[in-house]
Amino acid sequence: MRATENNQGSFLNRISIRRNQIVSMDVNHEQELQDLDLFQKRVSDRFSNLFSPSDESPIAGAGETALLSIAWLRKLLDVYLCCEAEFKVLLLMGRDPAHISKAPLDRLVPELLDRAVKSLDICNAVTHGVEAIRHCQKLAEIAVSALGQKPVGDGQVRRAKKALNSLIAAMAVEDKDGIGGKFSDRAWSFGRKGGAGSASSKDRTVGQFRSLWWGMAKGWSAARQLQAMSSNLVAPRGAESTGLAQPVYIMSTVMMFTMWALVAAIPCQERTGLATHFPIPRHLSWAQPMIGLQEKIADEWKKKEKKGSFGLLDEIQKLEKLGFSLTEFAESFQFQAESDRLEEVATQVAELAETCQKMEEGLVPLQQQIREVFHKVVRTRTEVLEVLDQSGKVSTPTM
Amino acid sequence: MEPPEDANLGLDEAEEIILRWDSTASEEAREKMIFEGNRDEVDRYLLAVDQIQRSISSVSISDDQAKVNSAIQIAMARLEDEFRNILIREIDLIPSDAVIDLRSIAERMISAGYLRECIQVYGSVRKSTVDSSFRRLGIEKLSIGDIQRLEWDQLETKIRRWIRAAKVCIRIVFASEKKLCEEIFDGVGTAIDDACFMETVKGPAIQLFNFAEAISISRRSPEKLFKILDLHDALMDLIPDIDVVFESKSSESIRIQAAEILSRLAEAARGILSEFENAVLREPSRVPVPGGTIHPLTRYVMNYISLISDYKQTLNELIVSKPSTGSRYSGDPTTPDMEFAELEGKTPLALHLIWIIVILQFNLDGKSKHYKDASLVHLFMMNNVHYIVQKVKGSPELREMIGDDYLRKLTGKFRLSATNYQRATWVRVLYCLRDEGLHVSGSFSSGVSKSALRERFKTFNAMLEDVHRTQATWLIPDSQLREELRISISEKLIPAYRSFLGRFRNHIESGKHPENYIKYSVEDLENAVLDFFEGYPISQHLRRRSQ
Repeated sequence: MRATENNQGSFLNRISIRRNQIVSMDVNHEQELQDLDLFQKRVSDRFSNLFSPSDESPIAGAGETALLSIAWLRKLLDVYLCCEAEFKVLLLMGRDPAHISKAPLDRLVPELLDRAVKSLDICNAVTHGVEAIRHCQKLAEIAVSALGQKPVGDGQVRRAKKALNSLIAAMAVEDKDGIGGKFSDRAWSFGRKGGAGSASSKDRTVGQFRSLWWGMAKGWSAARQLQAMSSNLVAPRGAESTGLAQPVYIMSTVMMFTMWALVAAIPCQERTGLATHFPIPRHLSWAQPMIGLQEKIADEWKKKEKKGSFGLLDEIQKLEKLGFSLTEFAESFQFQAESDRLEEVATQVAELAETCQKMEEGLVPLQQQIREVFHKVVRTRTEVLEVLDQSGKVSTPTM
Repeated sequence: MEPPEDANLGLDEAEEIILRWDSTASEEAREKMIFEGNRDEVDRYLLAVDQIQRSISSVSISDDQAKVNSAIQIAMARLEDEFRNILIREIDLIPSDAVIDLRSIAERMISAGYLRECIQVYGSVRKSTVDSSFRRLGIEKLSIGDIQRLEWDQLETKIRRWIRAAKVCIRIVFASEKKLCEEIFDGVGTAIDDACFMETVKGPAIQLFNFAEAISISRRSPEKLFKILDLHDALMDLIPDIDVVFESKSSESIRIQAAEILSRLAEAARGILSEFENAVLREPSRVPVPGGTIHPLTRYVMNYISLISDYKQTLNELIVSKPSTGSRYSGDPTTPDMEFAELEGKTPLALHLIWIIVILQFNLDGKSKHYKDASLVHLFMMNNVHYIVQKVKGSPELREMIGDDYLRKLTGKFRLSATNYQRATWVRVLYCLRDEGLHVSGSFSSGVSKSALRERFKTFNAMLEDVHRTQATWLIPDSQLREELRISISEKLIPAYRSFLGRFRNHIESGKHPENYIKYSVEDLENAVLDFFEGYPISQHLRRRSQ
């Protein structure tokens, strides 16, 4: 009885307190909390969609969007753009400009802007990386064209072999301006046997590829850039976790994840030492899908890092796998090859052709989307800076 | 030169020639280049290739077909090497006979289905040519982060260099690459010259524009305006050339990027102007300039808008909206305001300039209130508004934009300040020299209160000394204005003192210690006025009247 009484007592107390709270709460404040919750939920939902539970292996069957495929990256960028647009509304719309310059936003917003500027360089680096991938695509297409002829003759095989050697060499070049990489020995052993003048071919392909690493300044490093972006990324705690500090953190995390995934997938200048995770507190419910994705991608990266890899992009992985396999075939090709071997080769060539098709259809739109992300980030940053300037409290020159 | 039409080769002979030049087969084949040797050899080789290609359709037996296909591959690999070699050999300037050779090779590679190899070879060699041109032109690879970190004056130098380099890049380097592609690949299949061109220049073009893009997104601040306008103008100049060089569908993204950068630069210019206006309005320094002279803000702003008027051609096109006036810009209840009605027919840019002058005055007005001495408040405003007027008059473009109507208004303002100054200082001084209160009522005999008179003289002397000492340290930098004000003071002071002395000196001189009361002669006063507004503390006090 006593317990019930106590319960009743406390229950009544609770009601009255809550009623007081509701009475004293501003309608606007209530609305704001709803908006913040909604933003968080939407982010979580979108990343859930990217993380399809049925996707056990990175290379999924036809019809599914494999993790880190071109199609998946395009989805990711769409997600980024949606989150970004909603975030902008949350931060800027219908608000007194002065609110952005109050603590803790007076520190957090400039940090976000700084991260945004850093992400622009990553967009540029990735754009160059996509050009490098297109180069590989074209080499693969030569092999497809050569090996697609029926019956496949000596001439076509040699042609394919030449293209495949160039392809492997292209994907083997280290991120730095240096020559070589983990693949180099394996790549050159194919070249030596029968390629046209292996020494000159080596110089040629490396020289030709080195010129593809245009655009980014000497010494710029994608890995270091990401590290700098994440260095002050800290989840808001306690009193800070209500109010706008939370969505600022969420947006920052979305930005980090997107840039990191792009860099892991697409060959970028200088990725050695790419961090395989950045800290997101595990208890945050909205972050679970993102954390899951991060772990998956990080696993793949660690696996491939030892072997050395051009990038985790699904299509690149296919090019690497098929490229090696078909090169082996070309190496050991006798004119009268066994018919079942030929059938196997035909399947692989078809798969290579399909991959090239995906690249042909997807790479340019991907570049366009990256460009769009670039624009949106610049635009939002400009608008936020204008608001900050209006409130007259920009003391330190932020970037 | 193409081999003669009527020449003929048998299939076997053709095959033999091709196998002989298989670079994987013999050292000799590797050492020599066909197209560097004698022309007959070149003709024979090309004939052989043509023969082999023709025979694809005519050969039926699978063995022979295989041989033919194999020979084609060997020939194509060889031609690829030859192609590369010619390009590298003639890396800087390709003579016309080499162009013809390249064309012959390209035609054959493409008709054999080796288009991709051809484009790859071409692109890789020409890219390194463009690369070295870039290096020679001093085009740097800088990240956006790098550019944000540089000091603005370093960036100004880089912008200047970029403008020079971009003109050469687009009008010469890219244009000649395009021409070369057309010469080699024109008529050889569809849009192959475009593909080769883009293969060569896409990367470099992106790299070139990245710099301008980074500048266009850099943090806005007033000193950047003019270089950004320079960059904008230079890019705008180049757009027609860019559109021509990158006219194909595949190079659309480059044209789009250039247009985007141009519009961002325009936006940046607009934003900076807006920034500037904010900064002028909110400039917060409270330390009053000593002596009430021209405030550094006034100088800065007037110099700035003079420069703006120099750039009016571009800015008139970019600035299309009126300045936003009103309380959005300040939290103060009293905000500057501008009557647009009387400014009909003015361009938006002119309205902005007038607005800037309006808010400058508003700000100065606030600053003037920090002077403790009310007279100095007015002197300060007089000096500064006068300076504004002088600067406007001194620049024909600025004057034309500001307009004589507003100029008259400004002139009226500083004259009013001058009047206010005089009132503030001299009314009370001259009050000492008034008639009323000195005459004792009633009797007609002496009629003047000696004690009151003595008080008057003492007060006058004290006030005068004080004003003299103080206002000698005040400064009116403009000599003409200084002179005018002194004259105006003299015109009131001297006659009043002379007349006062004339009427009342006897009463003082008939009493004790007249020298304590009549300290100064008219001449002394005249000289004293000359000390005013010099900006120096006086070295000698008002000279006493020599007895």
